[in-house]
Amino acid sequence: MDNLGELLHGFSIAVTLPHLALMVIGVLLGILVGVLPGLGAPNGVSLLLPLTFGMQPVSAIILLSSMYWGALFGGSVTSILFNIPGEPSSVATTFDGYPMARDGRPTRALATAFGSAAFGALIGVILITFLASWVAQVALAFGPAEYFAVYFLAFASFVGMGGAAPIKTVVALAIGFAIAAIGIDTVSGSVRLTMGVDELVKGVNFVVAVMGLFGIGELLVAVEEEFHARAVSSKIEWREVFRAIGRLPRHSVALLRSAAIGCWMGITPGGPTAASFMSYGIARRFSRRGRYFGTGEVEGIISPETADHAAGTSALLPMLSLGIPGSATAAVMMGGLMIWGLNPGPMLFVDQKDFVWGLIASMYVGNIVAVVLVLLTVPVFAALMRIPFVVIAPLIVIICVVGAYSVSNSYLDVVMMLGFGVVGYLFKKLFYPLAPLVLAIVIGDKAEDAFRQSMLISKGTLGIFFANKLVTCLIVAGIALLLLPLVLQLPRLWRKPASAATETTAQETAREKVTI
Amino acid sequence: MISRRALELATAFLTGGFGVAVVVSSLDNGIGWSSAGVDAGTFPFLTGIIIVLGSLYNLVRGVVPAATLASVPIAITAIELRRLAGLFVPAAIFVAAIPLLGMYVASALYIFAVLAIPRQQSVPRALGMAAATALALYIVFERMFQVSLPHGALAAAFGF
Repeated sequence: MDNLGELLHGFSIAVTLPHLALMVIGVLLGILVGVLPGLGAPNGVSLLLPLTFGMQPVSAIILLSSMYWGALFGGSVTSILFNIPGEPSSVATTFDGYPMARDGRPTRALATAFGSAAFGALIGVILITFLASWVAQVALAFGPAEYFAVYFLAFASFVGMGGAAPIKTVVALAIGFAIAAIGIDTVSGSVRLTMGVDELVKGVNFVVAVMGLFGIGELLVAVEEEFHARAVSSKIEWREVFRAIGRLPRHSVALLRSAAIGCWMGITPGGPTAASFMSYGIARRFSRRGRYFGTGEVEGIISPETADHAAGTSALLPMLSLGIPGSATAAVMMGGLMIWGLNPGPMLFVDQKDFVWGLIASMYVGNIVAVVLVLLTVPVFAALMRIPFVVIAPLIVIICVVGAYSVSNSYLDVVMMLGFGVVGYLFKKLFYPLAPLVLAIVIGDKAEDAFRQSMLISKGTLGIFFANKLVTCLIVAGIALLLLPLVLQLPRLWRKPASAATETTAQETAREKVTI
Repeated sequence: MISRRALELATAFLTGGFGVAVVVSSLDNGIGWSSAGVDAGTFPFLTGIIIVLGSLYNLVRGVVPAATLASVPIAITAIELRRLAGLFVPAAIFVAAIPLLGMYVASALYIFAVLAIPRQQSVPRALGMAAATALALYIVFERMFQVSLPHGALAAAFGF
């Protein structure tokens, strides 16, 4: 019950006037980036990052995490009202959310989405409250070999469960590692992979990569299809809100199942996007009304939304207790932690109790603030969507350019950001996953250091990764996850001649969509 | 118009080329084991090899028309390509103009050009938006957050 005491202490930090104000600002900014296509949670958070350098770490993380909650909610607003997912993770919400809103029940669709999202987030925070400090305690005993094994497991789970083509995931991961290695090597002090460009000695900042990959890349994908914001009515009827939320407990099975899927995908870094798709798919298969999915089913909204938010929230658990972010946005926040001079990982729970528990308590409060604010501001942000895209697009380009420049006042960063934009567009278009790429850029150095330190300890034999039970289990689990796609391919090869080709292609494209 | 296959091939070449560059460049740092432990080039070397191998696999998958690729032969249509260029080319010119014109002038011109030339907005409105953008950038960054954005060679020539 230590945790509860710590949590109460955390509330005394989080529930102060300045921090509540930061939450409101963060959530509003988050809804804004969530609503605007082309600006998402990862680059929204990295845009805000330079402005937090002067703040207390607790205040800074409360601002950034509130922005994350806001972005998760904002993405659902446009999915339901305009059939345009503002965030990749809310694509699955469009399947049933938009039909329901179009049929004249926009308030019910929105309230169902927000209610189940809040439930998912709540389960995620409760999990963090009770599990994070325990995981951190276990991790305190970790040596470099165990750390490398955990990193390995995290990367392997992207390959095994991320949903994208496995080899494309591997390529994205490896490119991230190579980018992380650019610049001065922290162990030997030698300069690596600068290819003759002196300015690269300082390395490639992850913010620059995120701005390009998610900002410019998403913009290029969005501009391709000329979308018309055909809004359904965005008026909120409050009586209907409470009625819709009151009906939620009837779907408790779907809620709990989706929350479990979300938490699992958030902790083992699968990410919110994969979680929402997986949850939707499973709900369609197991629901009694499965064949009505896609026409405005309540459970078709509940499942992706609950999983999305549960995954987004629980992605912070491994970030706090192990130093491994569970999603692209968590990776950006972890980059922030390192900039503020904190060392993400188990020592946070010993040295920075105020920070950790302040953050966890703020997650409870922040999500409530987010639900209230998003309901209040739906009409305002829906009106934003009526600004033509040709006006918004150049503004987002300027925001990304300025954001990339202000990281370290370097023009080269701006040029690289544009290059990352092209890469981001190609990767999105061809279903290469972007989250593992960002993750590898942020924690590639640490994974490499852990590997080299364990090699120093073992004097160069790989046996250290099988030296005790824990590390062996982690490594074996990682290898199993790496091989999982291969194993899943086998029965398909077996059946291939028999099954109709049309169905497999339909499934394949549906599966590919998961990685958008 | 660009086929899905061509796009897959181009991307595989891009990633593969990056992989080769990483491999070659990491050889300078030494790979393998020395008295100081694992050499600095080893880890990048291995990731480079993985990138090259993975790109080769993706290249082959792109050439052999699998069921998936055959179902979506066209990745980018001519209209889409024009829209892409309409966004990217001005953005690239904007970035290229920053060292000369500075962030404020370049972004104002960029906004004006994008809005006024395709007749999206009337000229006075485009002018207004361009001025407002530059002013907002100046107030937010130079004043509120004390981040100096590049003023450009032109401004320097005039003595700013």
